[in-house]
Amino acid sequence: MADQNIKVDQEPPSVASQDGKLHEKIDRFISALNGDDQSSPPEITESVQTFADLFDVMIVEHESGSKRWIQLEEDASSLFIESIDRTAKLLKSLSRFHSDENYAAAINRLSGVQQRAMCVLEVEFKSIMDDYQTSYDRDRKNKPDEAKRKQLSSSSSNVQETPEPELPDQSESQPVKDEFLGYSDEMSSNLNKLAQGLISGGHETECCELYLFVRRNAMEQNLKLQRFEKFSIDEMQKMQWEPIEKEVVSWMKLFKEFSTSLLPSERRLADAIFSGHTTISDRLFSNLTRIILLYFLSFAEAVMLTKRSAEKLFKFLDIYETVRDVIPEVEKLISAERLQQLKSGASLINTIIGESIFNIFIELENSIKSDATKTPVPGGAVHPLTRYTMNYLKYACEYSDTLEQVFQEHKKIDGESQNQSNYGSQLARIMDLLDANLEAKSRLYKDPSLSLIFMMNNGRYILQKTKGTGEMRSLLGDPWVRKQSSDLRNYHTSYKRETWTRLLQCLSHEGLSVNGKVMKPVLKERFKSFNAMFDDIHKTQTTWVVSDEQLQSELRVSISAIVIPAYRSFMGRFSQVFTPGRQTEKYIKYQPEDIETCIEELFDGNTGQSKKR
Amino acid sequence: MPPTDNQGSFLNRISIRRNQVVSMDVNHEQELEELELFQKHVSDRFLQLLPPQSPLPSSTGEETDVVDTPERLLSIAWFRKLLDVYLCCESEFKAVLIIGRDATHFSKPPLDRLLPDHLDRTVKALDICNAITHGIELIRHWQRLAQIAVDALEQRPIVEGHVRRAKRALNTLLTSMTTDDKEQNVHPGKLAERMWSISRRGGGGSAPPTVNHNRRISDNSPTIITLVSRSLSSSFTKSWSASKQIQAMCANLVAPRGGDSTGLSLPVYLMSSVLVFVMWTLVAAVPCQERVGSGTHIQLPRHLVWTHPMILLQEKIGEECKKKEKKGTVGLLAEIQVIEKVAQSLVEFAEGFEFPVGGEKADEVAAQVMELVEICRKLEVGLGPLQLQVRELFHRMVRSRAEVLDVMDVVGKINTNVLY
Repeated sequence: MADQNIKVDQEPPSVASQDGKLHEKIDRFISALNGDDQSSPPEITESVQTFADLFDVMIVEHESGSKRWIQLEEDASSLFIESIDRTAKLLKSLSRFHSDENYAAAINRLSGVQQRAMCVLEVEFKSIMDDYQTSYDRDRKNKPDEAKRKQLSSSSSNVQETPEPELPDQSESQPVKDEFLGYSDEMSSNLNKLAQGLISGGHETECCELYLFVRRNAMEQNLKLQRFEKFSIDEMQKMQWEPIEKEVVSWMKLFKEFSTSLLPSERRLADAIFSGHTTISDRLFSNLTRIILLYFLSFAEAVMLTKRSAEKLFKFLDIYETVRDVIPEVEKLISAERLQQLKSGASLINTIIGESIFNIFIELENSIKSDATKTPVPGGAVHPLTRYTMNYLKYACEYSDTLEQVFQEHKKIDGESQNQSNYGSQLARIMDLLDANLEAKSRLYKDPSLSLIFMMNNGRYILQKTKGTGEMRSLLGDPWVRKQSSDLRNYHTSYKRETWTRLLQCLSHEGLSVNGKVMKPVLKERFKSFNAMFDDIHKTQTTWVVSDEQLQSELRVSISAIVIPAYRSFMGRFSQVFTPGRQTEKYIKYQPEDIETCIEELFDGNTGQSKKR
Repeated sequence: MPPTDNQGSFLNRISIRRNQVVSMDVNHEQELEELELFQKHVSDRFLQLLPPQSPLPSSTGEETDVVDTPERLLSIAWFRKLLDVYLCCESEFKAVLIIGRDATHFSKPPLDRLLPDHLDRTVKALDICNAITHGIELIRHWQRLAQIAVDALEQRPIVEGHVRRAKRALNTLLTSMTTDDKEQNVHPGKLAERMWSISRRGGGGSAPPTVNHNRRISDNSPTIITLVSRSLSSSFTKSWSASKQIQAMCANLVAPRGGDSTGLSLPVYLMSSVLVFVMWTLVAAVPCQERVGSGTHIQLPRHLVWTHPMILLQEKIGEECKKKEKKGTVGLLAEIQVIEKVAQSLVEFAEGFEFPVGGEKADEVAAQVMELVEICRKLEVGLGPLQLQVRELFHRMVRSRAEVLDVMDVVGKINTNVLY
């Protein structure tokens, strides 16, 4: 902060004050040296010494830190670069006669000065390069001056002797959006100038190393700030899935951001600073990309090498999609040949992850096939296996395009898969297996009616889930839906037959009258058995579960539709046979309305006394 | 040469996917013969890696690569050969282990323990491969710095400017080399800062700038440009250490004893040993995170054919290690060692530089620069392929691991897991 008051213009500019005369003299001397006359070297003019001394002074100002490049006026910085160019030319011309003692001494002196000048350029290049503020900082703190202050105090500015004078009002007035990657236009044009100077002075390598170093650090710093962890494969093996899952989520976000926003910005920065040197900016940018991309890919590799399990499917798919989509984004910015190795890395990841995904489905198949829990679900409700499988598939179907791709690729690698050509048929096969397994589970119920309710419940659940997931519906196709629906209807019909046909036999008019006369004892028996049977059904089937409301009401309606009219007509025909009063009360336990009420209570899953759920 | 070739997996050949394990009955004698052959091949391959003056006579005498000038121990060319050896052994191992085997062995002792151990070592080796990839990146950086020195010192006459430039580059190089080894726990940013210390001239900031004609270079050790090793080689979280991983890989690595039922524990042991050996050598040679103290020796029994050349190699490398330990610096990679040696001597020259340089001195410098040129050329030619090969190793290990896991999965799993 002490340097705040430095005014660049106040200092007497030592070299700038010299008029062009000295430079003219030097230039004349250079052309004299380059003349055809090879015989004897001309006398080295006094001006060479003066030039070297003045240049030296100029350099010392920078070396001592009393002058900073970023504060230089346009012509001062141009003069510096010009002096370097002139020195380079001079050196080149002098070297023709380097065997001459005087010439050698002059070369030695000038080369030393020149080298120090290059050092100054390097230092200045590095220090401006360092003076970025990460986009992360900028985003978090919308107050630019505060961010700036923080950035200055942090480690990124390494030249401690002279912190850049801070001009708060200026930085506030400067629109932040003009900067990219934290470099203002002014900074980037200065960097460009310095880079040009370094490259033309033969210090291309130094310049590139500096650039790579700063930008690489910046990107790594950025990753670190966003809590990107570089887990080793070994570490990841020992981690629980849940924390890994969280890491995957942030990895995806970072990786996408990296490819769509950070990388293009890096590309523009490299192009801006090394304008006119495409080969250099290409090389630097691709080196940088390669290094950072490697971190991202290593993460994916570490995840893909963790033990495969069903729960990992979705994150595996996320990784697969991310890698698949990011690489083309990167390819837009780098020539393919430079990306060769990374592409093969990415393809390994997706091959392995693809295989895992495929195998997860095979394992799902196997576990459905072999799921042999012996305890039936109470009340014939939807089995957990059904719920699990359907919900799993429902989520999986959100990735159905990717899954299709994975299955297609697997088909290419794995020659033996004949019928399992695509995800659709994989899905159908899982449904069949599930169906077969449920069928077997339904046999665990002793009551065939309950088996049917169980099948209905599960079938209904499967159908509803399928219809509710557009992708799954279209993958399984109309015939499957039709088949599923007709199965459900069959279960329904069978159930009605199983439970209610016997009851309806009690209400049959046949065999009750002989020669037009109602036989009372038989009628009494009929009523008695009807009542007992109905009581029994009511008692059992109110404990059964049909949680799907529509199915529940469909069942009740269709039961009512067969029982109530039959009962009504039976009552209408035979109730007057009994003597009103005690006898009627004894045998006619239910009015048709009561029957209806009782039917409405079926499948409520009521256990024990409590009538209300 | 693309590192991945999806040449179809072994899965196809033994078709285990649908719970069917094809078990061809390999008769016992054939099995033994196969094992014998495998061990002999491994032994032969490692023999080729020994330096020529090695006293060990070749076991068969049918080696024909006298024409091939043997690569210098621990040079890039040697490592490329070593990695090739690994890849060959690995292919053969998989063939011996998987093809035509009754896969049910995998779920029975001792394989049910040996194979997971081997896979665990593979996982650690994968991390090491990644660390090595980063290390090679660092060597590239060193190469570029050395190239600066070459460019500067190749020019004639040798003048202050060139010497100064070369010195800076070489100092940076040497600092980076030692930093990599010693400053293990320094935060990369911090280190960068420290190394990028711009020591202004001795006069101090307040003194008015003066022209000093006779400034000696050593008065003015200017900016060290540095690309910092630490951040380059820190491929993992801080706690990760290459040497610890090597140690962990050595744990439980013991030669099988007595008659075991399948005869497969020997090849598993062999492959693990080869793997650990290769990783140990890589870590000893290439800079990577926390590689100090990787002096761990793999305990190899002497009674097996194939351990012999490996033991000899280990001894030779151990000697190199000891030589290095005194100087206490970078990895054992032959090229790096030359660079280090030449760089030190050139920096010395630069420290004492006075113009003009006498003819004898100039010749000396020229010879050293030539040495540096040669090394830079070797690095230029060798590092890329080496890095690719390390990657190939990585890919291969990933694949093999998946294949072995699949076999183990199928036979090991009597699917009782409840999903819900």
